[in-house]
Amino acid sequence: MHMPRFDVYVPQDLNDALSFLDERGEEAIPLAGGTDLLTLIRAGVVKPKILLDLWPLRKNLSYIRREGGYVRIGALTTVDEVLANYLFRDSRYLGFIDAARGLGPTFLRSIATIGGNVATGHPLSDMAILLLALKAEVKFVSRHGERRVSIDEIYLDKRKIDRRPNELIAEVAFREKPMSSSTAVLKIDRRRGHSMGYVVSASYMALEGDVITDVGIAFDSLGKPYPGRAYRTEEFLIGRRFSEDTIAESSKVLELEMTRLSDYRAPAEYRLSLSKTLLKKCLLLVSQRIKEELMHG
Amino acid sequence: MAEYRDYVVKLTVNGVTYIVSVKPYERLIDVLRYKLGLTSVKEGCGRGECGACVVILNGKVVPSCLTLAIRTNGAEVQTLEGLAPEGKLHAVQKALIEVHGIQCGFCIPGFAIAIKHLVDNNSNPTDEEIKEALDGYLCRCGSYSMLIEAARLTAKYVSEGRRYFDLRECLGE
Repeated sequence: MHMPRFDVYVPQDLNDALSFLDERGEEAIPLAGGTDLLTLIRAGVVKPKILLDLWPLRKNLSYIRREGGYVRIGALTTVDEVLANYLFRDSRYLGFIDAARGLGPTFLRSIATIGGNVATGHPLSDMAILLLALKAEVKFVSRHGERRVSIDEIYLDKRKIDRRPNELIAEVAFREKPMSSSTAVLKIDRRRGHSMGYVVSASYMALEGDVITDVGIAFDSLGKPYPGRAYRTEEFLIGRRFSEDTIAESSKVLELEMTRLSDYRAPAEYRLSLSKTLLKKCLLLVSQRIKEELMHG
Repeated sequence: MAEYRDYVVKLTVNGVTYIVSVKPYERLIDVLRYKLGLTSVKEGCGRGECGACVVILNGKVVPSCLTLAIRTNGAEVQTLEGLAPEGKLHAVQKALIEVHGIQCGFCIPGFAIAIKHLVDNNSNPTDEEIKEALDGYLCRCGSYSMLIEAARLTAKYVSEGRRYFDLRECLGE
């Protein structure tokens, strides 16, 4: 038995969990699927006084709903449940299938959660970058109410998100996208399965005719130890006609924003080149998905 | 040293219901191996990267090294030991023998569970579906092509309605 010892608080329900965090939030760590946190504890990187077991809250916080013009995903919905949900066969949301398949093997998808992926704030964020591209919002709840924050504002540093000690992530939600739009997530690594990706990219794009009316572009594993959006590239693309030339021009803008790091996995020059390649591949895949939907309905 | 309270967990493993006392930090693999003696459940990496400890928990494949035991109250668990009734072999076990899919054997319980879970849900998988189901299970002997072949053969047996085989016949006795 190699697991260091720790205590766990098992709440009765969400209110109980939030009351517990109100009292002991500073020293407690919420445990969702555990695919990241338990490995850190085992490695001795994280030494928790006490964990808050979120699994009993799944009865309230695992759901996928369309409601009031929004798609809402409960924080404790597993990646498996996303893959199995009919909503994500909608051509607009095929990026979720890319993200779920790329996230890891079946035995991790069965326990890894959407909220956990968002909260990790580390380059393992296949779901989080898609939610960034979709301009999703994150709903935090505490005993004193709720707070909705745009997902691009929650990432502060490596494994550090803007969650107050007495809060839990309850939901992620994004506005339903227009019919002529789609999403894609791509990553490049030496192998296809079970990989972190040298660079991971997510794109959302809406077209009217061939004019780009809305776009969201997010990257992970680039230069910062958490995911982010390519705002200037997005700004450049909006209002332009979609074409390979436009993508080529936009990749020159991409060069000027976001940082690229050199580490043992890949040098910065390679990451820069990969980020431009992935921008192109992602946008072409998105436009192909839009076209197919228009042709076949 | 701090004392940790005991939790009582009732779980059904391979059709038998057990009531065990667990500490909050104990994992399902600790219960299966050290309390119930089900040593097919191997601890390879202990961090969800190798698949050797995978079991079927309430119909889903999960790494038992990343599953806290306190989360398994009321759960139904299947390990390699429970794949076939006494004196029988499950189709996946027969297939693994026939294709010589086993070298050192350490990874096999995970692969057998993965293949069994796949064919339970899809008795006619494509090679792509087989590869997706086996993704993440590591075999350091590198027998992947044989393990994929074993999955194809298992699916063939199960789709023919041949789920269990007599152990003695399989061993050529």
